[in-house]
Amino acid sequence: MHGFGAFLAYRLFRTLIALWLVSTVVFVVIRLSGDPVPLLLPPDAPVAEMERVRHDLGLDRPLAVQYAVFVGNVLRGNFGRSIHFRQPAMEVALSYLPATFELGLAAFLIAVVVAFPIGVFSAVRRNSPLDHAAMGLALIGQSAPTFFLGILFILVFSLRLDLFPTSGRGDWRYLVLPALTLGAFAMASIARITRSAVLEVQRADYIRTARAKGVGEFMVIAKHTLKNAALPILTITGLQFGTLLGGAVVTETVFSWPGMGRLAIQSIYNRDYPVVQSTVFIAAVLFIFINLVLDALYGALDPRARAARS
Amino acid sequence: MVEDRTYDLAIQTAAGVRWHNGDPFTSSDAKFSIERTYDPAAKTLVATVLTTIERIEAPDPATLVIHTKKPDPLLPARLAFYGGQIVPKKYLEQVGPDAFNAKPVGTGPVRFVSWTKDDRLVLEANKDYWGGKIDADRVIFRPVPETAPRVAAVLKGEVDAITQLPSDQWGRVNQNPTTRGAGALYAGLYVLAVNSKVKPLDNPLVKQAMSLAIDRSAIVKDLWRGRGIIPNGPIAKGDNHYDASLPPLPYDPAKAKERLKEAGYKNEPISIEVAPGYMANDKAMSEAIAAMWKDVGLNPVVEVIEYSVRAQKNRERSFKGAFWSDPTSTLRDPDGMMWRLLGPGGPQDYWRLPEWDKLGDAARFSLDEKFRGEAYKKMTEIFMVHNPWIVVIQPDEDYGLQKYVDFTPNPNQQFEVRRFNFHMRRA
Repeated sequence: MHGFGAFLAYRLFRTLIALWLVSTVVFVVIRLSGDPVPLLLPPDAPVAEMERVRHDLGLDRPLAVQYAVFVGNVLRGNFGRSIHFRQPAMEVALSYLPATFELGLAAFLIAVVVAFPIGVFSAVRRNSPLDHAAMGLALIGQSAPTFFLGILFILVFSLRLDLFPTSGRGDWRYLVLPALTLGAFAMASIARITRSAVLEVQRADYIRTARAKGVGEFMVIAKHTLKNAALPILTITGLQFGTLLGGAVVTETVFSWPGMGRLAIQSIYNRDYPVVQSTVFIAAVLFIFINLVLDALYGALDPRARAARS
Repeated sequence: MVEDRTYDLAIQTAAGVRWHNGDPFTSSDAKFSIERTYDPAAKTLVATVLTTIERIEAPDPATLVIHTKKPDPLLPARLAFYGGQIVPKKYLEQVGPDAFNAKPVGTGPVRFVSWTKDDRLVLEANKDYWGGKIDADRVIFRPVPETAPRVAAVLKGEVDAITQLPSDQWGRVNQNPTTRGAGALYAGLYVLAVNSKVKPLDNPLVKQAMSLAIDRSAIVKDLWRGRGIIPNGPIAKGDNHYDASLPPLPYDPAKAKERLKEAGYKNEPISIEVAPGYMANDKAMSEAIAAMWKDVGLNPVVEVIEYSVRAQKNRERSFKGAFWSDPTSTLRDPDGMMWRLLGPGGPQDYWRLPEWDKLGDAARFSLDEKFRGEAYKKMTEIFMVHNPWIVVIQPDEDYGLQKYVDFTPNPNQQFEVRRFNFHMRRA
């Protein structure tokens, strides 16, 4: 128990360092990228007006001072006011989170439910026509640009077949096409990794032993193979989950989905520093949290990981 | 035009107009709103729009008198554009600016219901609107930034109307049995603005060659599928003092070559800066024009920049050569377009000529429209020699509509839904 507490404290410390680094990098990079004031004012606003707005936003102060103010505020949970929306930035970012979760979770579920059986099946029936077809599709899923896939889906499933709405957020029918589009990449990579992980394990001695013992093929796969192939599959699945939840700029743009990815990119274009900070912060927290859960799952699945930890 | 008198604008407001929350609309709301635009404490973004105003009086609830420092012929037009929107004094003071932004109240044909950022803005018809209830119960705006899903949404009948119908989709929307396109000539121009301070663009002959080398009819026909016209100068068709007798800008590559020879042009590079998507077809037009310029011996370099870089360069006036701009005629008058942008201290102040400046200044403060017309005529002549803008096209602003929607778009890109321009013809 003592070991686990120390482990948790250590991870928490690393989490804080990571969040601090991410925030600092974003702070510097976005300020290097340009000035929000010309984007806020009419194009013919005079210089004095620019200076006044810059002063109001605190952008005329030295970068070090701005940074100190920023860190001080964040420590108190204040991410500043959105320059564009004129509302608390974190509030703006969080208001986009439900839509992002909805899409990310749906995409993830579709990806896992489809990819996992396909990957296992392809490995077991290696080099069969079905394996080739599945891996061919996975290759397309992994390499087709998201905007192309999204627009293709709209033209085929929405405009031609009239099965789903073209864009926007509403009931479940609005969710299908964007989730499929967003999930395609994750689906493809999970299927491929699953396939190769299963193949890898099938070459192992203990599988041959199991077969020699006369264990049925189904049990060989379900019990001996999958348990041992789980680690790489879990890793890629977790990483994909983090990516899906972090917001998906292209999918959200193609389907007019009001999610955080689109907010982030628009805020970058608007030079809305506080909102960019807030969205990156949320994404970082999600990613770190998922990694933490993954670590815990590794421990549960693999005694060696538990031993290494303590 | 120096006279020792004040200049007044008296406005009578319509009787019986009410705010959406039921309060009566009065001239003290108008006085409060206009004064608020330049009140430093209110921190508005339109503080520099109504600068000619000296003071405002509201002698009775239906009358507003505006005293100006100088004659301002375009004050009514300025009040109708940004800065002139009236806010309810009582409600705003009661709830404060943040709550007002979250739940605005107006007097118009639709009232605010809800706004979910990046998802939808819901408005409902104001039954008591003084201009009559509009022909719909609700108006919902949805942002659909990508072209393909936007066009698909109208083709499929999911929406009643879409904005920004690209010219290459015009035919498709018209061929579809249930939809049609509607357009209005844009209140403004698409131009390549020029930094005339750098070599060789400081030489008017070079800029004349650049203009003469552009085959505008090919651009209108091929890139815009005919959805636009060739301009005849710096004043947009539809504006005050537009001179319909002038011929369209000429295409004459032979003459362009002569001008370059005369100018002693030595193949200096000329940059075309483009932030793709800033205006419709800007990237394609850049490439087409670069090819046309090469044909007459110019040395164009197309440079792609990002939106915010463009905004920064615009503010710093640091464009390297030619750059795309879509000057909007905010007042439907040259004052709100070429003089606003190209005048001294304006955002596109890269070229000065005292004679031109004197005319622009005089026209701004004259109440004599005949005098103003003459001034803009002369300014146009000078403009054609110096080309601070290489004017390219006046495009259509196109919309895709269901056939049952009767809608006449406003040329200045504002989406207006009122009884006079919007009807539903549902059976």
